[in-house]
Amino acid sequence: MTDIHTFAGAYALHAIDHLEQARFERHLAECPSCAAEVAELADTMAAFSDATAEEPPVGLRAAVLARSAATPQTRRSVSRQRFRLPAVRWQRLVTAAATVVALGGAGVAGYEIANDSVVVDNTGVSAANKQIAAVLAAPDARMHSATAAGGGQVTVVSSRSLNEAVAVLGKLPSPGADHAYQLWVISDGTARSAGVLATGSTGATELVSGIRGAQLIGVTRERAGGSRTPSQPLVAHVPLT
Amino acid sequence: MKRVAAGDQNAFATLYDAIAPRAYGLIRRITRDPALAEEVTQDALVEVWRTAPRFDTERGSAVGWILSIAHHRAVDRVRAEQAAADRERRASTASVPFDEVIAEVTARLEHEAVRRCLRALTSIQREAILLAYYGGLSYRDVAERLGAALPTIKTRMRDGLIRLRDCLGVTLG
Repeated sequence: MTDIHTFAGAYALHAIDHLEQARFERHLAECPSCAAEVAELADTMAAFSDATAEEPPVGLRAAVLARSAATPQTRRSVSRQRFRLPAVRWQRLVTAAATVVALGGAGVAGYEIANDSVVVDNTGVSAANKQIAAVLAAPDARMHSATAAGGGQVTVVSSRSLNEAVAVLGKLPSPGADHAYQLWVISDGTARSAGVLATGSTGATELVSGIRGAQLIGVTRERAGGSRTPSQPLVAHVPLT
Repeated sequence: MKRVAAGDQNAFATLYDAIAPRAYGLIRRITRDPALAEEVTQDALVEVWRTAPRFDTERGSAVGWILSIAHHRAVDRVRAEQAAADRERRASTASVPFDEVIAEVTARLEHEAVRRCLRALTSIQREAILLAYYGGLSYRDVAERLGAALPTIKTRMRDGLIRLRDCLGVTLG
């Protein structure tokens, strides 16, 4: 396995492609010492800039100042923003999750476990609700969202410390009368089933356990009751970190 | 920089005067075309203004951050131009080969410490860094050019930069 950390030099030199860049930036968000190293390496190359300094064309100053005067600034530090959930969407998500849970547990109770096809009964609902609330309230909760192929949204709130995530699926296209959506926890290319929605269901709120070390939550359309392996292509995939 | 982050236009004008020659000079070396360099410098400095509130003083110097934005913009532009040139099977607009740029830059390094530290690197470290930095080459292109394995180039870029950093004594606050 490649050690992602060795990308620090190539990253500071902008010598990697956009995919690698995105991957490395996800790593940077979680590795303060790597971020510090990248900043130091950028500062190191800045020491060379005296050698190439040159008077810019005369018109440039006025052009830059005029354009900047007309350009609004970004508000916050992005690196910090990553650790903070956007208030509005967060509120909406909690409301959405609460609504689904309140609707007779349609999302939480109405799914079948892939392997033994047992429908979770109502006694399990309140415990699951408590777990969902705990994930949503976890200090390290992170939210990611993706639009599903064919429409609809999959939002995942995950907590590494609780080793659990809540997936909210909404307004997906109908899977068909004898098909169902299935959730997967994907770690290093290996998928493990995390539950199957009720047959024909287009939305649900699911508690997903055992997410530590995994990179993605995937959603697939499967025959009613679910499959052992995910059918390609994924309907949606949402990053966990 | 704090005043720029707070939206102070006058402070940004002062910052422009302090940084524009270094940003423009670097971008011109990479794009190897004065008109293109002017355009890219404009974009880069407006981006500096736009994203100034994100700049984190604990993460390196303002100069390092600004030049990193300038460098990134220039490299993206050069790659886009190169891709367009490849599509149309024409020669890239850049007239000066980057080997000449690198030779010129190293000859102009007046700062004794920078020159000495660069010389202290192994030749593969030095070439990998300079080809990526001034040539705008990806580490894949660098590997191909130097006939070395990809992981080797990736590693040499990092350990070369770390060696430069230590030699120049660059540390964060």
